[in-house]
Amino acid sequence: MTARASQPPKDSARLQDVGRKVLSAFYAALRSLKLYPLENSAVQRALDDLHRLLYELVEQEGGMELRIVGDFFFLNETRLRLDLSNYSTFGSFARALSDHGLGAVEVLPGIDRAEWAPFLSLLLREPGGVDPYEAFMVAMGGAPILHIQVVPTKEVKEPELEEEALHAAKRTYAQSVRVAQEALTDVRMGRAVNVRKVKRAVQGIVDQVLANEPSMITMTTLRDYDEYTFTHCVNVSIFSVIIGQRLGLDRVQLYELGLGALFHDLGKSRIDVGIINKPASLDEAEWFELQQHPIEGMLALFHLHGFSEVPYRQMLMAYEHHMRIDLAGYPKNRRRRSPTLFSRIVAVADAFDAGTSIRSYQYQPSPPDVVLEEMRDNPSRGMDPVLVKALINATGVYPVGTLAILDTLEMAVVTGVQRDLDKLHQPVVKVISDSMGVPMAEPLTLDLSERDPDSGLPIRTIIKTVEAERYGVQVSDYLL
Amino acid sequence: MAAPDQGDLAPLPYAEIGELFVVLSKALRAHQLYDENNPVYQRFVSQLAEALRGLWQDMDRFHVHVEEDRFLWMGEQVYRSTSRTDSLAFLLYKDGIRDFTFHPGLEEHELTDLLLVLNKARDLRPEGDDLLTVLWEKDLQYFTYSYIDLLAEGIHLPSAGEGYGGGFQDIIQAELQADPEDLAAAKQGVEGEQGETREASVVSAEDFNPTLYSLDPLEMQRIQSEVELEMRRDLRGDVLAALFDRVEEPRFPQRQQEILEVFRALLPNLLSRGSLRAAGSIIEEIARLRASENALAPEQRALAEEILDQLSGSGSMGELINALEDGTISPDPVELAALLRHLRAGALKPLLRGAEGVEDRKIKAVIQDAVKSIGSKYFEAIIDCMGSEDPVVVVGACSLAGKIQLAEAAPLVADLVYHEVPSVRLAAVEAALDLKASTAATALQEALTDPDRAVRIAAARALGALRYRPAAQAFKEVMERKAIRAADISEQIAFFESYGLVQDPEGVRFLDGFLNGRGFLGRKETGEIRACAALGLGKIGTPEAMAALEKARGGEDPVVRSAVNRALRGEG
Repeated sequence: MTARASQPPKDSARLQDVGRKVLSAFYAALRSLKLYPLENSAVQRALDDLHRLLYELVEQEGGMELRIVGDFFFLNETRLRLDLSNYSTFGSFARALSDHGLGAVEVLPGIDRAEWAPFLSLLLREPGGVDPYEAFMVAMGGAPILHIQVVPTKEVKEPELEEEALHAAKRTYAQSVRVAQEALTDVRMGRAVNVRKVKRAVQGIVDQVLANEPSMITMTTLRDYDEYTFTHCVNVSIFSVIIGQRLGLDRVQLYELGLGALFHDLGKSRIDVGIINKPASLDEAEWFELQQHPIEGMLALFHLHGFSEVPYRQMLMAYEHHMRIDLAGYPKNRRRRSPTLFSRIVAVADAFDAGTSIRSYQYQPSPPDVVLEEMRDNPSRGMDPVLVKALINATGVYPVGTLAILDTLEMAVVTGVQRDLDKLHQPVVKVISDSMGVPMAEPLTLDLSERDPDSGLPIRTIIKTVEAERYGVQVSDYLL
Repeated sequence: MAAPDQGDLAPLPYAEIGELFVVLSKALRAHQLYDENNPVYQRFVSQLAEALRGLWQDMDRFHVHVEEDRFLWMGEQVYRSTSRTDSLAFLLYKDGIRDFTFHPGLEEHELTDLLLVLNKARDLRPEGDDLLTVLWEKDLQYFTYSYIDLLAEGIHLPSAGEGYGGGFQDIIQAELQADPEDLAAAKQGVEGEQGETREASVVSAEDFNPTLYSLDPLEMQRIQSEVELEMRRDLRGDVLAALFDRVEEPRFPQRQQEILEVFRALLPNLLSRGSLRAAGSIIEEIARLRASENALAPEQRALAEEILDQLSGSGSMGELINALEDGTISPDPVELAALLRHLRAGALKPLLRGAEGVEDRKIKAVIQDAVKSIGSKYFEAIIDCMGSEDPVVVVGACSLAGKIQLAEAAPLVADLVYHEVPSVRLAAVEAALDLKASTAATALQEALTDPDRAVRIAAARALGALRYRPAAQAFKEVMERKAIRAADISEQIAFFESYGLVQDPEGVRFLDGFLNGRGFLGRKETGEIRACAALGLGKIGTPEAMAALEKARGGEDPVVRSAVNRALRGEG
């Protein structure tokens, strides 16, 4: 049974709003303290605002806890969504806390205005030594702060891939792949497509990405689950929605994006299947025919019934996703045009998934990090660099599923992405072999951003990524 | 407050809960039948809101289990309907919903949204949305639900495999042999593990530049603008531009065929929505392709012709005119003109209607221009319209025939002078004048005694303007009758002046008889008739006519005096 949110919605909406104000107030106070002396009127105003807001909140709720878990802030159990409008604010405050090893801040009833300045000043200090949390606690002990408590990061649980979330992701993924298969096959056979099923599948993808993005990224690492054509459509949809979420698109916009992404290669159903599946390079005529698929995709969408409005946005995504931002791609156009934002998002998602997948002509795809680097650094790929950044933000420099050799000669699979932008290159990994290359019976999960307490150096470092498919390693075996 | 199912509160009477669903059903029905301002609808919605408010006094949410034909609350039936068509339970059940919850605040914030969704669900097409997709899009916060995804049954979930069967040593060796730098980094790492101080690895934090991966404020600003732009973008225009580019490729005739069919399907949709610019651009493109020699193969050219003909047909154009007449769409006149420019003969009929029926002056003018343009190109269409059963069309066609001097229409005009509808007869008379159609003259003479005043006047004026002398006798017959004396002054003037213009040789004597003669019992004619006679003599203008006028100069009747003076001066 699939459940929808059962939390009292009015409170949730109110706390969302208050939560954003709280974070903005913290940010404003920290910023003003950083720039001006304490007695400055701007600082005093910021502290007044912060205190007034939090005092009222604490009075109403009986207390306040602000917690950072992964990508999200939680205010008294209500998750606050990060989006483009508050990216900078939240990110700065999150960094201020995490630099000191803080995972949560609690404010107790009776908070006095005079306690804020010393607390915020501690946050502005350089993190102390080997154990920043310990250093912070020591400093806090000597400050006049009675009604503010902090919790270390390691006691605030990072949401791992819970069984339920993973199961939901599997269901969503499996359903989506089946729907993609049916839709593309129906188009090839000239049958009516069940648009309702497609809509539900995409709605499911959006819900799952919003609820637990890492679980859906994990699903994209599946390689042998079904035919590439169908999994690719779903993967592009997932990555597109993920990028869209990073850009602050709302739920319905994410759905429109995901729908178009799922249909982006619909046109291939009208291309000779021999060309689609040809193992060798295409000759000129074959390549020319393949290049018709964006046009065919746009036309195919005109024949789908079940949309209340003509799906123009999705047609453009099918038509433009190979055009490139400099229009050096295909199809060429006589009339002036500029690919839509959604088309460019799909282009990025498409390039990433295609680059990291085995295809009929590409038995050894590149490792994900290499593909991302190429997309970001090679302008002739025609990718929108900002959107590539947004993808890397979501996937990390070493995306989930990357097979890597550590400096200890252990083999590892990337299983999680850091939220801290300074640590994108230090993901969470599952070590699957020891330094002798012997597979581990119980793979060990390590956070590569953690440091050795004695040396202060990272406990492990990735020195090389490996083309998993080249050696027949199924990374999804270690993720599901 | 804890829900009753937690056992620490007395449950509400089930009858009241059942009543809630009765009220809900009524509110749904009212939502279907009435608009939101209707007092009946508002009353039912208020009752429903009140019923919901009553619930929150005893519970903090209202959770219901859904079965095929009933709702259960706390295990007891609180709603049932045997008719599937009307059943709220079946409406939810068939799309997979198995329970739902009303939350406090529903009555304040989302009640009408919920009614909208539930009613929409009743009317959904089988191939389109279902209740779940509609609920998802609406994203109600105060109505939550869980469901079984009927579309997801039987799927096979992915599962983890056994993992890599062999050792990884060979892989690692192969990879590191290929890249000596990585091997060096590895050696550093391994040496560190053996207890010696490890130096920083090759890939260090210092090498990592997070600015390459984080969006700076300018980039974020740009993206925000782009999102806003995306949502405002003319997507349809972009798709049409793509279609126009592709339809111009003669090497893909099948694709051209498909695109033309797409255009054909889109046009009625666009017209009905008033999207005339888009429709006009499509028509423009089709017309351009058709006119270009090599753009289309014969089959596709025939299709283009068909589309233009179809667009010009009474079906498409009729719908457009109806929408213009009743104000459903209010297009930009320039866009309308661009659309109508390419129309063909078949559009004349509906446009003639539109030219009469549309009230907006600017739009009317555009349609009239289009009518003239089409008429000038397709004469036979005018003839055809003159035979229409719709009098409005006939009137328009007559008028058009006259304006463009369509000589071929003259015989038809003559026939139409006898039409049963007065407005048609009038239009025919006016067209006869425009065409200077002597073939209509006989009919015009008969129209002097038409039952309709406007027709009589127009016929008189027409004969006078044509200087049609043979009509003199017909005029005299009318003017000698009593009826002319009972007519209003405009008609009287029209007859006497027009008689004067036809230059009857007996005209001066005849009119002098009215002006200066004495009738029965030596009485003079009425002042109005004498005045009209004076005007008629003025139109004759001969010395004899002037002499007759002089005789009446200085008379006592000021109306007659004024008319005589006017006639003598040659005015009127």
